[in-house]
Amino acid sequence: MEDNSSHLKKFQKELSAGTVSLVLLAVLGRSRQPMYGYQIAKRLEDMGEGVLAGKQSALYPVLRNLEGAGLLASEVEPSISGPPRRYYRITKQGREVLRDWVDAWSATRDSVDAVLQGEV
Amino acid sequence: MNAPRTIAEYLKQLRAALKGADPALIQDALYDAEEHLRAELADNPQRSEADMLAHVVSTYGAPEEVADIYRDQEIKIQRALRPPPPPRRRSLPGRFFGVAADSRTWGALFYMLLALATGIFYFTWAVTGVSLSMGLSVLIIGIPFAILFLATVRALSLLEGRIVETMLGVRMPRRPLYPSNAGKSLSQRVGAIFTDVHTWTTLFYMVLMLPLGILYFTLTITLLSISLAFIGTPVLKALSVEDVIYLNCGIPHWLCDGNYWPLAVLTCIAGILLLFATLHMVRGLGKLHGAIAKGLLVRLSGEDG
Repeated sequence: MEDNSSHLKKFQKELSAGTVSLVLLAVLGRSRQPMYGYQIAKRLEDMGEGVLAGKQSALYPVLRNLEGAGLLASEVEPSISGPPRRYYRITKQGREVLRDWVDAWSATRDSVDAVLQGEV
Repeated sequence: MNAPRTIAEYLKQLRAALKGADPALIQDALYDAEEHLRAELADNPQRSEADMLAHVVSTYGAPEEVADIYRDQEIKIQRALRPPPPPRRRSLPGRFFGVAADSRTWGALFYMLLALATGIFYFTWAVTGVSLSMGLSVLIIGIPFAILFLATVRALSLLEGRIVETMLGVRMPRRPLYPSNAGKSLSQRVGAIFTDVHTWTTLFYMVLMLPLGILYFTLTITLLSISLAFIGTPVLKALSVEDVIYLNCGIPHWLCDGNYWPLAVLTCIAGILLLFATLHMVRGLGKLHGAIAKGLLVRLSGEDG
């Protein structure tokens, strides 16, 4: 039993490695205002376990990579009450890439579903 | 390790868990963690810091887990972002000429040429800022001016880090040091800027960049022009022999006379060798400078923040 749960954990980790960039880009693509890391983490938490199998600390390096790739832009805003926050928003290129990614994701999901339901 | 009860404790444990990792990676990880923790605390003011941290360990991750995630990510990113390492060549000529196929060489070459401009700018900025801060310190605007100046020094430190990482391929921080001002009075905050060793090493780096920039630029330009001139001698000689151009040369007779072709070809070969030797030197200098930048611009992992 112990063995099975470690397999599950590993599989979840591999799944989330591929999807977390897509999810972050989609969240920021849908949001009207720029969002900061903690806010994004909370929103994903509300959606449930499935989206993000790992810990929230994994989000920040991914956000930084997306920014480095030019898909997101960010700026720091000092806030009066709280700590300074880094706000991320999606760039024009990010939106184009997101569209491609969504297509790729749908295609993958459909073919995986087809296999699982025994249509092949 | 016992559960952290304050943010400072959490960060200390995270720093300890990341021990041995790249200092630039540690700076980024600490920045992210502190931003997240402070946001969590600001979001739930009714909860105590210890309660909040107990919650955070299950969502954001315990310090050791976070350290593992960052180490993992770093390996993946390096693989994805870095240009592929040039194929390893065994033979001596292969190793000697292979330097041209290494993308790092060209980045370093560009950096060497840019270093003069950035060196002059950093030096001017640092010296002007320091002298004005000292000069104005007798007046009331002296202190705010000095603080403002040191803030720009930090920003420039991050900027130079980005330049160094792009061109020399040395991992540098992508996030600044987190301005940890919570629970400190204004005078303590100001004091923290002045007592931070990192501020002064950065200033030192900015001043040092002028002589280094001049050295890099001069060496690179001189050696490059000499090798290119050497490589061009057969062309020059051919043009001179065909009377297309008239060389009024006193000393190198062989360049003007018709029957010294072997010497011109030899000079050309020497030029090619010198060119590749220059590329080796540039790559070596780039590596050296990367180490200098890392030593002076990135806070050591052992220091407490």
